[in-house]
Amino acid sequence: MDLTRRRWLRLTAYALALPGASDFFTAWLKAAGPHDQHYAPPDPGLLKDYVPKFFDAADFAALEAFTAILIPTDDTPGAREAKCAHFIDFLLSSATGFDTRSQDQWRAAMKALRETGFHAADAKGRDEIVAAMARPERERGATHPAYFVYRLVKQQNAFAFYTSRAGMIEALDYRGNSFNVTFPACDHPEHRTV
Amino acid sequence: MKTYDAIIVGSGACGGWAAMELTKKGMDVLMLEAGAHVDPSKDFHHRFLYELDYRGQGAPGLVRRYSGSERNYKIMIDDVENPYTTSPETTYRWGRSRCLGGRTLHWARATDRMADYEFKAASRDGYGMDWAVSYADMKPYYDRIESFVGVSGAYENLPQFPDGVFLPAMPLNCAETIFTAASRSLGWPSTHRRLSQLTRPHNGRPACHYCGNCVNGCDVGAMFNPIAVTLPPALATGKLEIRTDSVVARVRMGKENRAQGVTYIERATKTAVDVDATWVILAASTLENTRLLLLSEKGGLANSSGLLGHYMMDQVGGGGVTGILPKLKGGPARLDDGKQAGITIPNFQNIDAKTQRKEFIRGYVMNATGGQTEFPQFAANVPGYGSEWKKEIKSRYVAQARVWNAGAEMLARKENLVELDPEVKDAWGIPVLRIHFTHGDNDYKLIEDFQQRAEELFRKAGGEVMPGPVSPAGFPGGPGAPDSRPPASGTRGGEPSALSAMEAPRRRRPLGGSIHESGTARMSVDPREGVLNSYCQTHDIPNLYVFGGNAFPSTGDKHPTLTMMALAARGCDHLLAKTK
Repeated sequence: MDLTRRRWLRLTAYALALPGASDFFTAWLKAAGPHDQHYAPPDPGLLKDYVPKFFDAADFAALEAFTAILIPTDDTPGAREAKCAHFIDFLLSSATGFDTRSQDQWRAAMKALRETGFHAADAKGRDEIVAAMARPERERGATHPAYFVYRLVKQQNAFAFYTSRAGMIEALDYRGNSFNVTFPACDHPEHRTV
Repeated sequence: MKTYDAIIVGSGACGGWAAMELTKKGMDVLMLEAGAHVDPSKDFHHRFLYELDYRGQGAPGLVRRYSGSERNYKIMIDDVENPYTTSPETTYRWGRSRCLGGRTLHWARATDRMADYEFKAASRDGYGMDWAVSYADMKPYYDRIESFVGVSGAYENLPQFPDGVFLPAMPLNCAETIFTAASRSLGWPSTHRRLSQLTRPHNGRPACHYCGNCVNGCDVGAMFNPIAVTLPPALATGKLEIRTDSVVARVRMGKENRAQGVTYIERATKTAVDVDATWVILAASTLENTRLLLLSEKGGLANSSGLLGHYMMDQVGGGGVTGILPKLKGGPARLDDGKQAGITIPNFQNIDAKTQRKEFIRGYVMNATGGQTEFPQFAANVPGYGSEWKKEIKSRYVAQARVWNAGAEMLARKENLVELDPEVKDAWGIPVLRIHFTHGDNDYKLIEDFQQRAEELFRKAGGEVMPGPVSPAGFPGGPGAPDSRPPASGTRGGEPSALSAMEAPRRRRPLGGSIHESGTARMSVDPREGVLNSYCQTHDIPNLYVFGGNAFPSTGDKHPTLTMMALAARGCDHLLAKTK
């Protein structure tokens, strides 16, 4: 949409009449510029100095390594930068008194993971263990006693990663939650026929 | 004690409209709201999930207490303070809010007119009862409300989906464009969702800025809600007094069969307060209105018909398809979810003799959208891990697609009812509702048919079906939505996945709802057949009106808010005429 000076003035007048107008309009004006990722505020650092409370040191280190294998750092950040293991620990420690079922499930999962030898394995060995654990996901008939651990960590890791700034903004380039002058219409003629 | 001209109980869509209409005509009005005051400039902010401690899920204690998300639970209801009970066979979940503005602070904004094929459905197919109004009766009020609140939409000239007074429609994103083409190639009608969401400045309010936060409270008033739209002009008259945190316990009767006023309890002090008025309007939401009538007299106030509480309905929810549109896979990131909209495929069956189906009566409306969302719910369902998996997630992320049921008509049955629970009381000692609610055979058949059509549309669009949540973020059942719940319950909030939904009708698993409850004090021409007349005035008590979905003799297949407001506006005209 072309914004004429007259239209800008009219919009400004409308917006300034509202409570909280200055904050809103400042952000909106910024959004009228070329799009980049700066509209998304920086990570507030909720987990920056977080010390694990639910898992012991060995289990936490294993979980952190596991999450990084599932969502590695490559051309975009991975689970390590997103502090996925920290977030999982935070959720589970917060569940005390509310959700002992989830806590028991994760304790059982970490016990099963330890029994696979994951905790003691080197990097190559850990890759091999995860590959074996994940096989039932793709191969019909395949089984693994710790497959449930793989599924549990994958599910919570995916949530932790894609709700972090690293996952949502840096990996996926989410555009919403922003101030926009117009809604971008589909501009692909090929989408108008099936 | 001061006697107000009118007391309005509730500040939602209907209460807010009534307050504006009556104060503009010079009436002194007292509005009583059970919930807290809400200030958009302080209470509503854009916040990314990573800025929230629990990434939108809420702290464990809060999750149990409120039906909302971490962003919007403060504009929901505290379920611990405000319980309700259900009969053993009932799976219904009552979605509620208690705050100034009510549920319109987080509603889906769908603003559809009902048509005569809904108002007069009983005459056509023989089931239930016709409404005591026709489209011709309602049209002036639809016009009035749409003109004031601002509704974006496109003109289609479909008799079953009457056009209104529209602002420009919002543009379609790529997925919606593809679904539109698919729908038309199937010979089905299709249009932009009609929403009370401004596409240009209107009546002193700014246009939508497409942030996608509608269900978390609009920070600028670009979507309709009373605190942005109807209450400011009402307050500007100097004739409106609003008391929040005031829990109304009953309507008090006076002499000569007239309501004298109400008794409310101050939330914090639990002190009972009596207030009097010439006119009493209940606009506290459908089931709360009925609860108040039941609380006000043994056997229920205004219940000479014996039908108060009966014929409870909610449009049938559930079903749907989710997956990806391969045409969009791997494309660039786009702002796809900023308008929280989609396309609407109006009902095209059972609207006349030509489209009549043998298997079921009535119909449903389909919605579809797609593209980028705040969180890729499908991610954990994609096999694999590692960098290739990450690339696959990103590739599918922009190609997400969903078809969902916007609300199917639920047939009215007398045995679906609300009554007072004989034992359970709320935090203020007021008896709560006990709900008896099940779905009938026709309801299941409608959803079965919807599921088949939804899959047909999806296939025509070239979509690949994937199991996963059906409702998109911001819509009922979707993540962050008021009624979102962890999956697996099989009922609303935990709406079934596409696969489980397909199996649902065969297994007769409980169906979902749409937070569109209606009935329980239906309108009728004959006072023996209903509680309200066509103006939503009780048949029994001339100065008592009930605004909300109570009057509906049938749900129709449209979103109900606009029709509730139109009935309220019509009722206000009736009331004002009586004061002359």
